Amino acid sequence: MNRHFWIPLGVAALCVLLTAPWWVVRAAGGGGFDSVVNSIETRYHEHAMRIPLMGLASVIAGAATHGGVGGVHVAEFEHFSAPVDGDELNRMVEDKLGQGWERMIRETSRHGGEQTLIFSHPEGNRMGLFILDLDGAELSVVQVSVDADRLNETIIKYKHHDRGDEHASD
Amino acid sequence: MKHRIAAIILGAAALTAPALAQPSPLPLPAPVEKELAAHAANVTEVTLGKGMLDFAAKFMDNNDKDQVAVKQLIAGLDGIYVRDYEFDKEGQYSTDQLEQLRQAFGTPEWTPMVHVHESKGGESTDVLMKMVNGEPHGIFVLDAEPKELTIVLILGPIRMDQLSELKGLSGLSKLGDIEKDKHVKDKTDDKGKAGKGGDQ
Repeated sequence: MNRHFWIPLGVAALCVLLTAPWWVVRAAGGGGFDSVVNSIETRYHEHAMRIPLMGLASVIAGAATHGGVGGVHVAEFEHFSAPVDGDELNRMVEDKLGQGWERMIRETSRHGGEQTLIFSHPEGNRMGLFILDLDGAELSVVQVSVDADRLNETIIKYKHHDRGDEHASD
Repeated sequence: MKHRIAAIILGAAALTAPALAQPSPLPLPAPVEKELAAHAANVTEVTLGKGMLDFAAKFMDNNDKDQVAVKQLIAGLDGIYVRDYEFDKEGQYSTDQLEQLRQAFGTPEWTPMVHVHESKGGESTDVLMKMVNGEPHGIFVLDAEPKELTIVLILGPIRMDQLSELKGLSGLSKLGDIEKDKHVKDKTDDKGKAGKGGDQ
């Protein structure tokens, strides 16, 4: 046994140790946004369209709002034709989001394809919001983390900016 | 060893029991809620706890009178809960279910304020107020129409003069009606008083 054997083995062991939590979460079905989207795809045999460069867009949104908005995730299901049972969908989302998420709003229609679910998750100064909206053949899933104080500062800044423009045009 | 394991299990149970035993924020009979939801064509449920209300209050514009009023109102509230059930046809809920909903607020701290029942149209409205030291600390509205049932519960200190400001929130349009009814009642009372005054 020489170091040519032990070094690759050590690196492999380190990789396993570092990725172990990720594998455990994957094996357990995970939680959060991806888990919900994957479950919808599996249950209804529909394919979600992930928005390209969403990570970059999320970083830009965070910078533009001075941290007011972050952790943006978006998935779109177009031509969603599968029949949806509102109770089943609600249970699935609750299970997959995991603990700490509380349902804030639920609108469900038994006949039509209209379902809305909004969950919130306090994260210290921030509030995590998860929104699922099925309207006809379009199902949108959005998750975002909001810092109300910072976002409000940005909103007020732009409001003042707009008012300034209105006064200037007068 | 067995005693130690038993002690650990009991200790863990004692620690987790309060969390598990926490009452639901909405004191409605769960079976009735489920039954109503099962028969309804459209269901709207709004559950805004204190944390969410505080979060929403942060977005109110301090330069806007109306928004300041809403902010003041929701700042002290413990929660706003709305349940709205729309049915395809009449007779999808029973008077027994309505009675169960009313009985959930049959405790002494809840005072019936309004009970209107139209036998012809089958409509009824109940408004109950939770009074703490003579101050309103909660309001429960049960509005039953032949094809729609609306339940509104607001917990926390309430300023009645600002209540109608909440009518813009989903499912809370009934609060605007309460305020409107109150004005009509006030005017009627004023007329009555004026009439009485004239008689004296």
